[in-house]
Amino acid sequence: MRLYEYESKQLFENFKIPVSKRFMAKTPDEVYSMVENMVGPVVLKSQVLTGGRGKAGGIKFADGANEARTKAKELLQMKIKGYAVNSVLIEPKLAVKKEYYVGVTLDRANYKIVIIASGEGGVDIEKTAVDHPDKIFKKSLSIKENLYSFDALLLAKKIGIPQPLLKESASIIINLFELFKNYDAKLVEINPLVLTNDDKLIAADSRMSLDDDAVFRHVDLKEMGIETRHEEGEMTPRERQAYEWGIPYLDLDGDIGMFPGGAGFGIMGNDFIHYFGGKPANFMDSGGGPSPERIAKMLVLLDENPDVKVIFGARFGGISRCDDFAKGVIMFLKEHGLSKPMVMRMTGNMWQEGVRMFEEAKKENPELFEHIEFHGIETPIEEIAKRAVELAKEERGQ
Amino acid sequence: MAILCDKNSKVMVQGITGGAGKFHTERMLAYGTNIVGGTSPGKGGQSVSGKPVFDTVVECVETTKADVSVIFLPARFVKEAAIEAIRAGIKFVVAIPEHIPIHDMLYVREEAVKAKATVIGGNTAGVMTPGESNLGIMPDIAFAPGKVGTVSRSGSITYYVADTLTRTGFGESTCVGLGGDPVLGSTFGEILWKFEEDEKTKAVVMCGEIGGVYEERATEVIRKMKTPVLAMIGGIYAPPGKRMGHAGAIVEGKMGTAKEKLDILAEAGAYPCRTFLDIPKTLKKLGV
Repeated sequence: MRLYEYESKQLFENFKIPVSKRFMAKTPDEVYSMVENMVGPVVLKSQVLTGGRGKAGGIKFADGANEARTKAKELLQMKIKGYAVNSVLIEPKLAVKKEYYVGVTLDRANYKIVIIASGEGGVDIEKTAVDHPDKIFKKSLSIKENLYSFDALLLAKKIGIPQPLLKESASIIINLFELFKNYDAKLVEINPLVLTNDDKLIAADSRMSLDDDAVFRHVDLKEMGIETRHEEGEMTPRERQAYEWGIPYLDLDGDIGMFPGGAGFGIMGNDFIHYFGGKPANFMDSGGGPSPERIAKMLVLLDENPDVKVIFGARFGGISRCDDFAKGVIMFLKEHGLSKPMVMRMTGNMWQEGVRMFEEAKKENPELFEHIEFHGIETPIEEIAKRAVELAKEERGQ
Repeated sequence: MAILCDKNSKVMVQGITGGAGKFHTERMLAYGTNIVGGTSPGKGGQSVSGKPVFDTVVECVETTKADVSVIFLPARFVKEAAIEAIRAGIKFVVAIPEHIPIHDMLYVREEAVKAKATVIGGNTAGVMTPGESNLGIMPDIAFAPGKVGTVSRSGSITYYVADTLTRTGFGESTCVGLGGDPVLGSTFGEILWKFEEDEKTKAVVMCGEIGGVYEERATEVIRKMKTPVLAMIGGIYAPPGKRMGHAGAIVEGKMGTAKEKLDILAEAGAYPCRTFLDIPKTLKKLGV
């Protein structure tokens, strides 16, 4: 879960990491009235859940309330990498002497937490990491270790923090590490950490990404209004519908509706369709152990999508049992009905029960099943994928 | 022989009285898995499927001599459960639940490394040695005893691969579900090396996925292996994804696309496969 800058800055402040005084605004007029009461030039920063905001023109400077209103209007009409700008953070413009970088993140492959620091802060830190790895300094710790102040001091020295600010910068690094551990973060980042002309250190920009699976134990975040959110920018209407139903779903540009089990075959099934010359209309993930209702909703998404010409169904029951799967498909057939061909394969845990349920339902209402080609374990999944590609071609009239 | 578990493994279930715990304990028993008991704090003295329930792992181990534990508990309790098992002397822990907090898994990994124990998962379908031991939720129908090991991030991919190996007569030595969570108890490399040391395993199929660096990190081990490794990577045609931020890229380097991962593995000596049916074809060519 990525946080907005204004959210992470609040957490920074709580952890005694220096940040500027700041205001949030949602309209140009709000910006005007805030800036009217501020002294000196200001910076207006669009609040979006994506990086590269500065390069995309999402940060603007203004002298006085009138200019701020005009610039805010521009920002609030922008989209940055698909993210609409809905609010603007206003801060005094800093007089920058030097920019540093400090971050804490996970090194998943080595099971470590890494503190990273550089004297070359600013927008091009990734480029620095590639071109001048010697200018990036790291300290790896296990989750059980503390970051000692001598280690933080050494990092601060390496990146060239001036002597009088060494102790303060070490505190900033330690507090950032504590913040990371305290909130189950995947990433916390100050970029840049600014040294101002009057020799103060300020976290000019902040970035945080938390582990969604651990948010439950941080009730204070909820009290601050920080809750799990959709992070992938703009959604199509169908993606929004799926999101509301709790189904991971992406629209793609093909015509084969993908109705897979978990994410694993969700991803590889898409590869198979391409491999056999077809194009998937979507990516979807049923999640582990989906309820029959969820299975039915997955089919509704595909059946109501006019771009979908044929549905490719694959269920290999593990934690997701075939009986629940069959129940969901039958529920969909009865309550909604299938308007396009579907070729599917079902096997795995409780497959006998699933097959029995299909057979019974078919005996009752054979017409519900007329568009379905059903296969079990005897048919390789590749054959099902090929058949779906073939059916899609027929439907397109080729 | 097999890796990680066989018919002699004494298996306990943490969370044996819960819905999923009960259901899958019965399934595992029906397969012939040697389940000796389980735990559920506060429910010591009860029994599930005729197997004794204890309050703590230490008690369960004392009485039943359990040496493997399968965890069927809500994700938030896995950290403590896994550490409890490791400290009670269990050397192999399978963490089935998905959505285990990442920092929790870092603690579990620390404990496991210190105790020289192996943790598999989270978000895994489990570990299966066909004909001997089924730990987790894998569907029996896909598996048959044989000579090819498998290790995969995804449960369903494990089933499809095993299904293919079974249908074509190769069978499986052991199938390991590495798990789908972002931080896992074990790495591809560690599991591959166990297969290398297993006499019964004549080839290994590893199935990875777009994202992360776990597959790339396995190349060091693949280069040292005599047992052939076949590799599949999901996501060759995935739409470009989102990234985590600067620091992630600085630490993990360039995040490999699926195609790049496959190329890197091939360069290290693995045999790339694009569909499941490529697997038996390749095995035949290799004379397995």
